[in-house]
Amino acid sequence: MVTKKPVTDDTLRTDGRGAAIDAEGVELTYADGTEAVKGIDLRVPEGEFFGFLGANGAGKTTTIKTFSTLLSPTAGSITVNGFDVRDEPRRIRETIGYMAQETSVDEELTARENIRFAAQAYGVPKSERAERIDELLDLVDLADVGDKQAGEFSGGMKKRLDAATALVHNPPLVFLDEPTTGLDPKARNRLWEYFERINERGTTLFLTTQYLEEADQLCDRIAVIMHGEIAATGSPVELKRRVGGEILDVDVPAGKDARERAAEIAREGDVFDADADVSVTDDGISVTAERAREHGTDLLVALRDAGITVTGFNIRAPTLDDVFLAITGEELDSEDRSADAVDVTEPEVGAE
Amino acid sequence: MSEASGDKAANESRPDGGQVRTMPSSNSFFSDFWVNFVRWNLKAVRNPFVVVGSLVQPIIFLVLFTQVFGQIATSALGSGGGAGGITYETFLLPAIAMQVSLAAAAGSGIGLVNDMEEGMFEKTLVMPMSRSAMFLGKTAAEILRIVVQIAIILALGTVLGANVATGVLGAVGILGIGILFSLWFIALSNIMAIVTRDQESTIIGANLLQFPLLFVSTAFLPLDAMPDWIQVVATYNPITYGVDAARALMLDQDVMTVVEVTRFGGIWDTLVPAIAVLLALDIVLGGVMIYLLNRASSSAVQ
Repeated sequence: MVTKKPVTDDTLRTDGRGAAIDAEGVELTYADGTEAVKGIDLRVPEGEFFGFLGANGAGKTTTIKTFSTLLSPTAGSITVNGFDVRDEPRRIRETIGYMAQETSVDEELTARENIRFAAQAYGVPKSERAERIDELLDLVDLADVGDKQAGEFSGGMKKRLDAATALVHNPPLVFLDEPTTGLDPKARNRLWEYFERINERGTTLFLTTQYLEEADQLCDRIAVIMHGEIAATGSPVELKRRVGGEILDVDVPAGKDARERAAEIAREGDVFDADADVSVTDDGISVTAERAREHGTDLLVALRDAGITVTGFNIRAPTLDDVFLAITGEELDSEDRSADAVDVTEPEVGAE
Repeated sequence: MSEASGDKAANESRPDGGQVRTMPSSNSFFSDFWVNFVRWNLKAVRNPFVVVGSLVQPIIFLVLFTQVFGQIATSALGSGGGAGGITYETFLLPAIAMQVSLAAAAGSGIGLVNDMEEGMFEKTLVMPMSRSAMFLGKTAAEILRIVVQIAIILALGTVLGANVATGVLGAVGILGIGILFSLWFIALSNIMAIVTRDQESTIIGANLLQFPLLFVSTAFLPLDAMPDWIQVVATYNPITYGVDAARALMLDQDVMTVVEVTRFGGIWDTLVPAIAVLLALDIVLGGVMIYLLNRASSSAVQ
C-alpha cells in the first residue's frame, strides 16, 4: 500500500518492521474544556512521508504536540518509535525531531551556535559535532552566514535554521508543524526540497499543513482532520478519486438565470451519468463526473442549442481542494441523514 | 486495527534499547546543565543592554546619591545610632550592591518570557534534557552575572572612597549575600514571567516592585532617620535584610535594627537573622516558581 523509500545505512532506524507512530483512540481535552482532539487512530509506517491536513483549529497542532510529548493525551495510547508517550517521554524526545509552527531559533546566537546548542542538547558525540554542524549548514544553505546572529536572518532563513536544529541528531522521525506557513513560494520550494531529501534518506516525516498543494506534492499518505477527528485517510490519488471523477468548469457570463439553466441542462440531459455532480459557481457551472473529459464537448453543444453563450471551458483533474469540499459535503450530507454522527467518519476507508 | 496489534507484538519482541542505533541518552545532568549555562552566558554577552542596563542605574544612584545627599546624609549618619562615624559612600555601597543584584535578578524572568516568545522554551522542552538542569544552567549564568556586577560595583565604590572594613573575605561575603539576596527576586520575576507570559508586563512588574521596595528599606538611610511608617514597612521588607547583611560586612558592625539579636556577637547578630530570612524567602518563592514552571512545562500550549 505504501512504497518504501530506499534506506541508507547511516540513518537512525527502528527495527524496520514497526510503525514510527502508532496511535489509538487519542483524545485531548484542554483544561478549559476545549476538546481539541476527539479520538484519533493513526499508524504511520517507518519511512513514510505522512501528511496531516486540516484547516486552522482542526486539531493538527494539538495532535503533533501530543505525539511529540509536549502535551499528555487525555485518553488513548500512543507509541512513537516504539516508546510509550506516557512511560518513556525522554526516549521519544531523543529519537524525534520537532519543528514547531512558530519559528523557534535563538536570535541572539549565530546560526552555528544555534545548531551547536541543539547538537549538545541531543547528545551528538563531540567527535562528530563539528562535522555535523557544517553538514547541516550546507544542507539548509546557510554555510556562508553561519557566523551571523539569527536575529539578522529573513523569515525563510530562520525557518531553514530551525529545520536544521531539528535534524541535528539524525532522528528517524521528524515532526513538521506547518513548516512553510508565511514563506514566499521560493523559500517554500527550498524547504520542500530539504524535506524530500531527508525522507529519501529513510527518515519518517509527519507534516501538518493547511495547504492542499503541499500535502499533494510531498506526502505518500494523507489524513484529513476536521474538528479533532480524522475524516479521511489515503494516498493523494486515492483521496482525489473520492471526488468522483474529473471536473469540468464552464464559464457562463450571461447572469445567474443563464447559469441556473445551464446547470439544469447538465443535470437533466443525457450527457452525463446520473451520479454527476453539478453546481452553479460564481462564473458559470462546475460538473464533476466520471467521464467529464469524453462528454465535455457534448455539454457544450447542448448549451449552444439552448442558446447559452459559453466563454470559457476547462477540464481538470481534481485537486485536494476538491477533496476537501467533497469530504465536507459528505459529512454534511450524512449528518443530515443520520443522527449518529460517529458513523460519519471512516478513518481507514481510503487507506486499506 | 488487527494490523496495529500485530505490530505491537513485534515491538515487544525487540531487544530493549536496540531499536535505535545511537542513543544520545548518554547526556549527563552536568552536560545538560553546562549546555544551558553556556547558552545563557552567550546571550548575556551578546546583549549589552542586559549587562550594562542592570549596572547603569545602580552606578547612577551611587554617584548621584553620594554627590547630592553626601553631606546631609553623612551628618545624619553621625547623629544616628548603629552606623555612626562613617562616610555616606561606605554606608551606601552595600545597598547599591544589593540594587545591582535586584536589577540583574529581574532579568531572569525577562529571559524566560523572551524564550517563550521566541519559541525556544518549547523547543528545549522537546529536547531530551533534564528540565532541572536546564533551569539551573540558566540561573547559574544569571548568578555569575550578578557576582561579576557586584564585584564591579565594589571596586568602583572603593575608587570613590568607600572602604570594606572586613577586607577581602568580607567582600567575598558580600558577593555571597548578593547571591542569596538575588534568588528570591529571580524566583519572583520568573513567577511574573510565567503568569503574564508577556515581556513588558514582566519588566514593568519588576521595576514597579524594585524601586519603592528599595526606598522603604534601610538601603539609602539608616532606619531611625525615617518616618515611623517606613520603619514598620522596612521591618517586613526583604531588601532590609539583604542590605543590612551586606552593610554589616562592609562596616564590620552589627547594623541591623529591625530585629534585635544579641546571641551571636558582632556582625553575626546581623548576618544570622538576615541569612535566615533570605533563605526562608528563597525557599518559599523558589518553591512557588518550580511549581509554576513545572506546570508550564507540562502544558506548554495552554
